[in-house]
Amino acid sequence: MVSMFVLWFIVFIGVFLRKGWVIPLTLVTLVWTLLLLRLHMTDPLPLNF
Amino acid sequence: MDVKSAVDTTFSGANAVRISRLINVLALFALLGVLAGSLHLQFGIGEQPCPLCLIQRSGMIGLAVGPVMNLMWGIRASHYALSILAAMVGAAGSIRQILLHIEPGDPGYGPAIWGLHLYTWALITFVIAIIGCAVMLLWDAPFQEKDQGIRYAKSWFRVVALTAIFWAFAYLVIIGISVIPECGLGMCPDDPSNIAGVGDFGGWLAVLSVGVLALAFALAVVVNQKLSDIGEPADVEY
Repeated sequence: MVSMFVLWFIVFIGVFLRKGWVIPLTLVTLVWTLLLLRLHMTDPLPLNF
Repeated sequence: MDVKSAVDTTFSGANAVRISRLINVLALFALLGVLAGSLHLQFGIGEQPCPLCLIQRSGMIGLAVGPVMNLMWGIRASHYALSILAAMVGAAGSIRQILLHIEPGDPGYGPAIWGLHLYTWALITFVIAIIGCAVMLLWDAPFQEKDQGIRYAKSWFRVVALTAIFWAFAYLVIIGISVIPECGLGMCPDDPSNIAGVGDFGGWLAVLSVGVLALAFALAVVVNQKLSDIGEPADVEY
């Protein structure tokens, strides 16, 4: 999970250096975060609809 | 001057940029307050973050990217859009964790603050952020200026804004490094074992007051001085 924060670290460095790839990399980081969330969705929710 | 003209003058042109920047700095400090609370629980009390908590922290850091870019690059709609998307990702983690503990009688995960668990507070933060960004997007005036960020802002404001930005960066580094001993380079355990905290008072001092804030402020003063030495073009109004 440290990879999420490594990606955010690179995003911040890109912001400081005014790099054009910041917005695409931010989107990639958000998708990666969502993927990690999905991988952790192992327990069923206690909902009985 | 009638009231409409006075309002138009106050909330347009260079003023619109100044007000937007101020709102962005305040939002960034509010977000840092929330992150400081979670770091206080981690280092002060010893409550290690769960995987879903880390997902929400990632959303919080993503949320901070919008204001940081607004301050450093200039006010842009795309920066608010990034914050909205980050808030949605973070909210997905919060909602998942709320639903896991939705059953009556479930004590929830971790300590409750003012009756609500951290993941519930996180969801409230993300929802407020989405509403806040939407409200800022309704206001066209700041986007009509060719704002280039705080590079040419007044010195005192630049120091305050840079302090918030470096503070956010420092928290990102602390959070990132603290994940390694807990999870290594892979996935984190679902229910991490807690560590011995440094105590309530010590936790706040270590994480918030003395270390990080002082470092961020010192760095902001140094960078501000460098920017002052460069000077500014004559045509910049704000």
